[in-house]
Amino acid sequence: MASNAAVPFWRAAGMTYITYSNLCANLVRQCLKEPHRSEALNREKVHFSISKWAEGKPKKPSRFLCSFL
Amino acid sequence: MAMAALRRGGRRMAAPLISPHPVNSLSSSLASSEVLNSVSLVQAVQFNYCASEVDRSQNMGYPPAVSVLVFLLNSYANATNASMTKLILSIKKVINFYGYTRYVYLAILSVDVKKNVIVAISSDKGLCGGINSTAVKISRGLHKLNSGPEKECKYVILGEKAKVQLVRDSKKEIELSITELQKNPLNYTQVAVLADDILKNVEFDALRIVFNKFHSVVSFVPTTSTVLSPEVVEREAEAGGKLGELDSYEIEGGETKSEVLQNLSEFQFSCVLFNAVLENACSEQGARMSAMDSSSRNAGDMLDRLTLTYNRTRQASITTELIEIISGASALEG
Repeated sequence: MASNAAVPFWRAAGMTYITYSNLCANLVRQCLKEPHRSEALNREKVHFSISKWAEGKPKKPSRFLCSFL
Repeated sequence: MAMAALRRGGRRMAAPLISPHPVNSLSSSLASSEVLNSVSLVQAVQFNYCASEVDRSQNMGYPPAVSVLVFLLNSYANATNASMTKLILSIKKVINFYGYTRYVYLAILSVDVKKNVIVAISSDKGLCGGINSTAVKISRGLHKLNSGPEKECKYVILGEKAKVQLVRDSKKEIELSITELQKNPLNYTQVAVLADDILKNVEFDALRIVFNKFHSVVSFVPTTSTVLSPEVVEREAEAGGKLGELDSYEIEGGETKSEVLQNLSEFQFSCVLFNAVLENACSEQGARMSAMDSSSRNAGDMLDRLTLTYNRTRQASITTELIEIISGASALEG
């Protein structure tokens, strides 16, 4: 349990709550046995391509493709 | 541990806005846990709590993310490993947060903020009827509503179709554009990572997510969901009004209210975004089905009409030839 003044360790490391909960979910998925394990890990695949815009022009898109972490 | 479970159950039952669903089996099982107070029985209570949460979440229409967490939790509620139990407790906190979230969600519709970011959700592929255009129309309307002397409004675009339409007149207002979202089947992790990216790159006071809500196979309602940033929620909570009643919630553990609000706001954003993306995908499939169906029917009608015309013309030309031949022959005889 974190004390009232300090931030939790993951927020101090720069993670958001979303990243933290995804990591926890990943851990739980890896605890499963086959065949449920491969089905669950299938549900974790991430793919999208994001491009930031500046002054009305898109920059080169960066593809985000990973099976989570 | 039993006291903690009892307190959690107490808070849930004292909040009238959250759920009209009575949790009678829970209170009786909690009473028995007080009497016996062994570790395995407490975990059985937590398991019952999870099971009732699953029922409640089905009834309340929680986003699939929370139901998935609850389901994973159910599979491991009887673990005796200490670290596993800690993990489970932290996940349960997340589920408790959701009741808190729903309250925030209900009370935020009429909040006036300075920096708005409109997240417009559309599809990548075409041939899906008019849903992308309606989403873009609503986004533009929101933009007009929210731009003024001090207010600022930016776009984050998911999907190719909205990007193409919004580039035409609002090029300067676009912050991020995301494509190729539907390459793999949609899952929560993907949308969560996306939400994380958006949170890291975009400053906002309020996020307005515009998507098509799936009503039925032929009807899609363009809707807006709003997510406020934690600072704005705190400000509104101080100011009183509906959000001021957030203080009546008891926050256990070692966290402060602002920490809770920040975690909550991030998780709320990713859950609401996941809901929006799923609803939009459903609407896209339905719209594509009805658009393709009507175009097939139109093509079939046109084919029938043209076939009739073709046959009539053909018969007319044959009849003309016959008449010429016959009249020619009869002129020769006569």
